[in-house]
Amino acid sequence: MDSTTQRHGIAAYRLRFSGSGGEYFRVWIVNLLLSIVTLGLYTPWARRRTARYFYDHTMIAGSPLEFTAPLRKMVTSFILFALLYVAYKIAAETGQDTVVSIFIIAAALLAPYIWGSAMRFRLASTRWRGLQLHFAARWRDVYVASWPIFLMAAVWVGITYGLDVLSADSVQPARAPGGRPGPAWPRVNAPMWGLIAIGLVLSVLCVIRVEFNYKSLLVLRAGIGKQHGRWKPVYSDFVRIWGATIVVFLAGAAVIFALFAGAAYAAWPLLRTIKGPSFLPLATILLILFLALVFFLALFLASAPARAYREARMFRLIWSNVGLSQIARFKCDLSHWAFVRLRIKNTLLTLLTLGFYRPFARVSEYRMKADAVTLHVKGGLDQLVGELVRQQDALGDALADMAGLDIVG
Amino acid sequence: MSEATKPAAAPLRAKWFNGRHSRAREVLIVLEPGPRGPALHLHVVDLAHAASRRFAHDEVEWPPQWSAGRAPERVTVALRDHGSLEIDQPQAWQQALAAAGDRPGLAQRMQTHLPVLLGVLLVAVAGLLAFYRWGTPWAAAQLSRHVPLDWELSLSQQAMAQVDQAWLKPSQLPVERQQALRTQFTELLSRLEPSLKRYPAYAPRYELHFRRGMGPNAFALPGGTLVMTDELVEAAAKQGLGDDALLGVLAHEIGHVEHRHGTRLVVEQGVLNVGLGLALGDVSSLVSMTSTVLTGLAYRRQHESESDCFALALMASAQRPTAPMADLLLGMSQTREGRPPTAQGEPAQQRSPLGDWLSTHPATPQRAEMLKAGMGASSCPR
Repeated sequence: MDSTTQRHGIAAYRLRFSGSGGEYFRVWIVNLLLSIVTLGLYTPWARRRTARYFYDHTMIAGSPLEFTAPLRKMVTSFILFALLYVAYKIAAETGQDTVVSIFIIAAALLAPYIWGSAMRFRLASTRWRGLQLHFAARWRDVYVASWPIFLMAAVWVGITYGLDVLSADSVQPARAPGGRPGPAWPRVNAPMWGLIAIGLVLSVLCVIRVEFNYKSLLVLRAGIGKQHGRWKPVYSDFVRIWGATIVVFLAGAAVIFALFAGAAYAAWPLLRTIKGPSFLPLATILLILFLALVFFLALFLASAPARAYREARMFRLIWSNVGLSQIARFKCDLSHWAFVRLRIKNTLLTLLTLGFYRPFARVSEYRMKADAVTLHVKGGLDQLVGELVRQQDALGDALADMAGLDIVG
Repeated sequence: MSEATKPAAAPLRAKWFNGRHSRAREVLIVLEPGPRGPALHLHVVDLAHAASRRFAHDEVEWPPQWSAGRAPERVTVALRDHGSLEIDQPQAWQQALAAAGDRPGLAQRMQTHLPVLLGVLLVAVAGLLAFYRWGTPWAAAQLSRHVPLDWELSLSQQAMAQVDQAWLKPSQLPVERQQALRTQFTELLSRLEPSLKRYPAYAPRYELHFRRGMGPNAFALPGGTLVMTDELVEAAAKQGLGDDALLGVLAHEIGHVEHRHGTRLVVEQGVLNVGLGLALGDVSSLVSMTSTVLTGLAYRRQHESESDCFALALMASAQRPTAPMADLLLGMSQTREGRPPTAQGEPAQQRSPLGDWLSTHPATPQRAEMLKAGMGASSCPR
């Protein structure tokens, strides 16, 4: 293998996921049962087993990925996280507003730090052919990359001020001499709507920019051996994908709305008979609960294709435009509509099986993504020279995991 | 490394990536039993001078076996700072591991042996049932001790204001009739012996209110506020039942207050939410939410039975019969099922088709039977 790659200059290796849904179901059910039996204490072991299963079966150029996070760090950080969470819950339940707001502000300020340390931990726990990945961003880089968040806050401060000025103009005569405005719900005129719309658009652009900054930082500062990541996508690529995603979401919402409207029309006579005075309070509560559930389910279903669409297009964009310095680059031919179809099928089957299809869904989506990526290497793979970096604290990992960040994809 | 040390098993061929280069070295590995599990011997073969190293059991990240039937294409063994090994013969590796006395952990055995998985499944199901049947009510009963009466009272005040606004109208019962019932209610309360109290230190402030609306009904709010509807008093009068029937109902409601059922329900829901969230969070939030609602209803039925038992004990202590209360309940349920309420003109069959699971009270005939049987024959714990 080595000699052929040397001779032709560039060799292509298709990534391959060799796991199976049935096997992962077993991994998942074992994790679930042990978590139940240990009242959730098994979580770090469970996460490690899951990561190991996916890594063990992700074959790159004939060698699997290795997940080597030290278990002790995962356990201690999980316990620390659980304690913080319980403290926060207790503060929230007992109505200690100061403590709760301190928690929230601290979490917001620390979010970039947590993200950075989570990525550092994840990459440092990933090995391939004995070579460790690493993430070399300094904290300053991460906070600098977070500038759109601060811009967003500034935009909303400005808009609040602008709204005040506009409403003072229009509601001037209605204001009582005492100084307090009369109506509880302020009247909103056309310029104010415009201002709010501008604010929303700017906020979305800021959110996209944060995502772009973080993803590019992750790739540029990641490395294996002495080689660093290469990043080609530009901000407008991201904006285009988000724009298309919004269109897909609106289309999905229209379809779901039509379906639910039809169902509600058909079920109306039935609903009328339920109403009765004799068990009124309970029935009303159940009905409200049911309607809320239906609403969230509808929102979930309507957004599922759009979320899958964004995920697939983003995956393809990134994995077609990143590489490792001058020696390796990735290409991806993931079809986003095929991925959307797969996600819809998975969502429906997961709902029908009350969640028990989820391991199969996860494997099939991971497989579709992994199998779509090809690694092109210039020269030989043997050129990579590694250096070992020290492991960071795993707390960021635990926190980021709860927040749903995931390095895969 | 000389041949004199007689290896425990045939050496396995492997590739060693030393963590400095991605280039592999050809090595031979031998597993041998150690005090805490197998140890690993590594011999580099493609070097002029034969280098070797021994890794103790805890210096190696032993790869898990994912399936009893299907072998992976390659097994990787991480050696911490010394890189990784890749082994192309997974079956030979498993055999060597077993021969070297490897003892797989519980998770590993669940993964590859179905009986072990089923055994743990059984334990988990039993654990969940025990948590639901005893753990949560117990925890709620204990936690409720620490909930202050003031919190209950302020909650009840809010709830009462809301109910008054949404469903209830002022009572139209004559003031004398209200007063007569209140007097008997106070008399009943005076018979509340300390031995009947679930929480001896708990001193609720009892008040009896009358309202119209909501059909024949009575309910208790935490902290001691009781409400009885005019319709219930009228239903008792229509059936020709004395005040003992109404007092029985009040005794039942006092039971709710003394057992702090409202508070316990809140705490039980909280404990359940946390418990099921931890245990079933990975299945789906839909499942854990539905089970929380359904189990919440089941706890309410338990509370009703508890209050019935309390009513029996209190009525016995006040030397009043409980049969009239049973008749009142039976009569009311027959009115509801037999004759459609004329004003609404709805179908007669309007009981919930999901039956017991979606109702807050146990089935009426059973309750009535138990109340008629009285203290002696009842299923109440004594």
